[in-house]
Amino acid sequence: MEIFIAQLLNGLSLGSIYVLLVTGFNLMVLVARIVQFAYPHFVVLSIYACWEVLQLTNNMFLAVLSCIAVSVILNVLSEPIFRRLTNRQDVDINASFVVSMAIALVITDIMSHSINHGFPIAFPTSWIGGNLVRFGLITLSKGQIYALVGGIIAVLIFFYLLYQTKQGRVFRAMAENRYAARLIGIPIVKASIFSYVIAGLLGGFIAILFSILLGSASPWLGEFIALKVIAVSIVAGLGNLKGGLVCGLLLGVVEAMAMGYISGSWSNAIAFIIMLLIILIKPQGLFGVKI
Amino acid sequence: MKKNNILKIKDLSVSYGPIKALKNTSLEVNEGEIVVLIGANGAGKTTLLKAILGIQKAQSGSIFFLGNDITHKATDKIVSLGICLIPEGHIIFSSMTVLENLQLGAYHNSQDMDKNLERVFGWFPVLRERSNQIAGTLSGGEQQMLAIGRGLISNPKLIIVDEPSLGLAPKTVSEIFSILAELNKKEGYTIFLAEQNAKKALEFGNRGYVMETGKVALQGTTRELMNNSKVRHAYLGSSV
Repeated sequence: MEIFIAQLLNGLSLGSIYVLLVTGFNLMVLVARIVQFAYPHFVVLSIYACWEVLQLTNNMFLAVLSCIAVSVILNVLSEPIFRRLTNRQDVDINASFVVSMAIALVITDIMSHSINHGFPIAFPTSWIGGNLVRFGLITLSKGQIYALVGGIIAVLIFFYLLYQTKQGRVFRAMAENRYAARLIGIPIVKASIFSYVIAGLLGGFIAILFSILLGSASPWLGEFIALKVIAVSIVAGLGNLKGGLVCGLLLGVVEAMAMGYISGSWSNAIAFIIMLLIILIKPQGLFGVKI
Repeated sequence: MKKNNILKIKDLSVSYGPIKALKNTSLEVNEGEIVVLIGANGAGKTTLLKAILGIQKAQSGSIFFLGNDITHKATDKIVSLGICLIPEGHIIFSSMTVLENLQLGAYHNSQDMDKNLERVFGWFPVLRERSNQIAGTLSGGEQQMLAIGRGLISNPKLIIVDEPSLGLAPKTVSEIFSILAELNKKEGYTIFLAEQNAKKALEFGNRGYVMETGKVALQGTTRELMNNSKVRHAYLGSSV
């Protein structure tokens, strides 16, 4: 029983990170109209920036600030690259996928050669924290608590932005009909850039939570995560925000259960096999495509 | 008494590659008028409206709005200056509520939002009833009213309507036209309307332009046009 609860908590914490990643990814699909394969890579690069600043200054506040700043800058700088692909209403899946994969490869290369000589980075214990709560044999680490609580807060803020603010209405209008949004006077380019800013802020937040949860990062973390993020969003239904919430958590829990009950090295395979089966049965995804 | 000029189009030419959609078109709309643009499908009406809104680039000529040259300005700037387009096919955002659709129309001036909403609900009480309903569940006529309401919420200086009768039942079409006529008479809104249904358009407007293959073929008051034998023959179904 204790293994179950422990792995459930593991799964929900990891799932929380997946949920945030899929949400940022879906924002790009819906408003920017691109499939951003490199979004998780931007997150990993921000983790690296955070680590660098921590190494250089030992100042946690500065590290957090630079993490978020780097994430926003990376996302906003990528906007002009993708802008050419978004002249139509549809998401140009082929073109944006290829472009974003290219960006991802370049980033992975840079990290594996130039930062820390390609070795994985590890965060100091002061950053990672320790076990904060204990129920018998079950413990909750600082990373898990931050991931769970941070995830809930971020999702609440995101949905508030989307459904209760003027910019959120603009985003939803552009997601439904970009041309009509333009006709009624919405500044499409400005709004699109703002969606990259939001994705960047979210990405920076994800980087902080992830760095505390994992305690380390490697140049290949981006590749690893990106495949899962795309898979989850397709299984949930491309562009389906609410579906992404459910499926992100499910993926985390499935992986954690596989790790706890079967074997750590099979957890990825099991997760992907389940996703494959779902897509074969329901190609539109569990909750339906929303673009 | 000379009316103030709202919109002036001078020698506008628009081409789609080798196809000349508009050839040296000139027209004007003055304050308080209802000016109608009639012509067959493909005559260039929609191209002209798109050019005014900055969606379609003009190769030569100019467009002046309240004296400002808007020929090469961006769409969102043009809308913020006070032109609103009610596009063809009662385009609304079906996944959003009636209220949210209206709020989108006020993007460029969200102060006085409550006052502006009250105004629009006053003209279209059915929108007030359905304000929290998802716009996609409204009937065709109600969606057209929502599209018009959304355009009006920013208090535009010029309302451009593209084919309001498309896809609506005749009774609904009459309702829409009488609402537009009232908005012009009671509130003084200037209306520029493109319409395939020539009879309805000429009954509705003060002045008209007839477009044929990218050019203004005829112009005059709507009464003159209604009595013009060419117009009667080609557009009003007269066999005389």
